[in-house]
Amino acid sequence: MNNPAGGQSSKSKAGSSQPSETSFKRKRGVFQKELQHMMYGFGDDQNPLPESVALMEDIVVEYITDLVHKAQDIGSKRGKLSVEDFLYLIRKDFPKLNRCRELLSMNEELKQARKAFETDEEKLRKAFETDEEKMRKAFEADEDKHGSTE
Amino acid sequence: MAKMQAILSRFSEEQMSRYESFRRAGFQKSNMKRLLGSISGTPKISMPMTIVVSGIAKMFVGELVETARIVMTERKESGPIRPCHIREAYRKLKLEGKVPKRSVSRLFR
Repeated sequence: MNNPAGGQSSKSKAGSSQPSETSFKRKRGVFQKELQHMMYGFGDDQNPLPESVALMEDIVVEYITDLVHKAQDIGSKRGKLSVEDFLYLIRKDFPKLNRCRELLSMNEELKQARKAFETDEEKLRKAFETDEEKMRKAFEADEDKHGSTE
Repeated sequence: MAKMQAILSRFSEEQMSRYESFRRAGFQKSNMKRLLGSISGTPKISMPMTIVVSGIAKMFVGELVETARIVMTERKESGPIRPCHIREAYRKLKLEGKVPKRSVSRLFR
C-alpha cells in the first residue's frame, strides 16, 4: 500500500485527517502537480500558492473519502462497490452526472476500438505468417534446384 | 462544435494556455486507484470507477476555484488564490449542499 510515488516519504496527517480503520498513512502532495495545473485551468494564477494547493488536496481527499463511504453505504446492500453507486450519489448534480456519462461512453468507445485493432492485428499477423511460410518454401525449393552457391 | 471553434479562434494566448491546462489536467489514474483502494478497503478498483471519481473530483476542484474567485471579487482582492478564499468557498459550497455530508451513524458500524 505504501509504494513511494516520486520518492515522497509517507507522513501521517495530523489534525484534519479522519481516523481510519486501517492505519493508512497518507503521503503529502500526492496530487500536487496535477492540482497545480488544474487550479490554473479553472482560474487560479499560473503558479498557485503551495499552501492553497495543499489545502485543496486535503479538501478533495476528504470529499472523495466521504463520497466513497456514502457509496459503500448504498452498495453494501448489494455487496461490492460499483460505479452505479457513485452515479446514484451525484444523480441530482446534472453537470457532474452528464460528465460521468460522457467519460464512461468515451472509455467504452476506446475499449471497442482497441479490441477491433487487436482483431485486425491478429488477422494481419496470421496472413503475414502464411505468406512468409510460402515464400520460405519457394526459396528452399529454388535452392534445391540450383544448388547452394557457397 | 462550431460555436466552440469560433470561441477558441478568438482566444488570447493566455486564454488558450489556461484552456489547455483546463482540458489536460487530471488526477493520475494510479494515484487515484491507490487512494480509492485504501478508502474502500477493497484492493480491486475498476477502471470505470477510477475514471468516474476522477471526473467528479476534478469538477469539484473547479467549483472550489471558481467560488474562491467570486469570494476574492467580493473582497476586492487580487493575485493568486489564498487558503482563506478556498476555505470560504468550501463553506459556501457546503451551504449550497454541494458537499457530501458525513453521516453520524457511521460511528456505530
